[in-house]
Amino acid sequence: MFWKKKNNNNIFLGSDLTIANYLSDGLFVFDRDDRLVLVNLQAEEFFQIRKEKILGKSILGLSRFPNFGPLVSLLTGETKEFFRRELQPRENFILEVTSTLMIIDGEKSGTLVILHNVSREKISEKMKSEFVTLAAHQLRTPTSAVKWSLQILLDGDLGELNEEQRKILQKIYKTNDKVIRLVKDLLNLAQIEEGKFLSKIALSDIEDIIQLVINANRNLIKEKKLNFEFKKPKDKLPKVMLDVEKMKIAIENIFDNALRYTFSGGNVSISLEHNNKKEIEVKIQDTGMGIPRDQQAKVFSKFFRTTNVMKVDTEGTGLGLYIAKNIIEAHGGRIWFESEKDKGSIFYFTIPVKESFAEFITGGFY
Amino acid sequence: MAKKILIIEDDKFLRELIGQKLLKEGYDIVEAVDGEKGIKSIKDEKPDLVLLDLVLPGMDGFEVLTKIKEDSKIAQIPVIILSNLGQKDDIEKGLKMGAVDYLIKAHFTPGEIIDKIKVVLK
Repeated sequence: MFWKKKNNNNIFLGSDLTIANYLSDGLFVFDRDDRLVLVNLQAEEFFQIRKEKILGKSILGLSRFPNFGPLVSLLTGETKEFFRRELQPRENFILEVTSTLMIIDGEKSGTLVILHNVSREKISEKMKSEFVTLAAHQLRTPTSAVKWSLQILLDGDLGELNEEQRKILQKIYKTNDKVIRLVKDLLNLAQIEEGKFLSKIALSDIEDIIQLVINANRNLIKEKKLNFEFKKPKDKLPKVMLDVEKMKIAIENIFDNALRYTFSGGNVSISLEHNNKKEIEVKIQDTGMGIPRDQQAKVFSKFFRTTNVMKVDTEGTGLGLYIAKNIIEAHGGRIWFESEKDKGSIFYFTIPVKESFAEFITGGFY
Repeated sequence: MAKKILIIEDDKFLRELIGQKLLKEGYDIVEAVDGEKGIKSIKDEKPDLVLLDLVLPGMDGFEVLTKIKEDSKIAQIPVIILSNLGQKDDIEKGLKMGAVDYLIKAHFTPGEIIDKIKVVLK
């Protein structure tokens, strides 16, 4: 057994301190009274402090020391046990922090805090998404040129076109528009992964956002002669803390699928429910192509499109649901679906009802 | 009298495409390949509207917009930003700086851009 109980209250790592010092992760151990009893070499290095200065201090007492602010906030938050939460004690230095309670003989004997350095991975991720952003913007210039020249040809500005010429030009136009949409999705994706993620969080009305998305798609609904219904709940829904722009993208992506993959004359509906106080549930239902059972597991992965959809519509990018899932989960919500091939699909997602910024923050957004 | 549109765009092909379309629709056009020449053209030609790209050699589009708004003689000329930079922050920044609209080139056809121009010039 690793831990020795020394007098009633303190646990104590004897000569096994050597092992702790050889760990590549940083280690803080707090005793039952939340006083710091162990600091390994790596932790000293991460926080740029000698252990003598901080041993014996309470968690709150640590906040006086430089670089400890964010860690103290994390440790005094809602949950005492958490896994791989990100922390940035100083510039260009990111740690993943895991905290577990140590239970000996059925009682809490202390807290183990493990610090894992992910700075290199984070910098690499950042460089990757900066590259994607740059490349995506660069791709817009030639695709604009193609779009504009094709439109000029199709408008007949450079001479009348025969039917064959018109048809092929329209195909090229559509293909190019697909590239443009892909670029747009890649840009959204890069933004999401860069963690420039939830910004401008404000108390908002989810109903209004949904209505905006519906309005933007009115033409498509009409063109495809779809029967659409927006079922609102009888009572007014509470406002919730949302990143409106991002939530709009998430809803747009799910709704877009419902519209595009349902044939003419089919039914699409959006309904809202506020069953328990803690969440709002949004349901987007269609009588469209559905998702074959054997492909359902991959639905939320990047660039995935089902085979039955690809046969009928070559234009989607396969990123819509991946992006939507990221956005909804970042809000603390869940997303799932039920679907049957050729019958239709129902996509559900929840949004936790958090009414204050403080609740939003301690729920795990950062 | 025909309305005069100034196009500040460094990409020759795009400049020609939008210029050609504008001429066809009966507008007069003036072209500038960078920000400095653009500002000079505004002062000399007093266009009815400016189509402004953001990514330009030398002075960028935001700087050009700032300079336009600083000069009382030309500040009231409407500016439509026509750019392929399109993150929300850029759009908000442009509109806050006084542009009347912000269009992403890849998302609009020349015809649609002209519809937007018509609305502004009404």
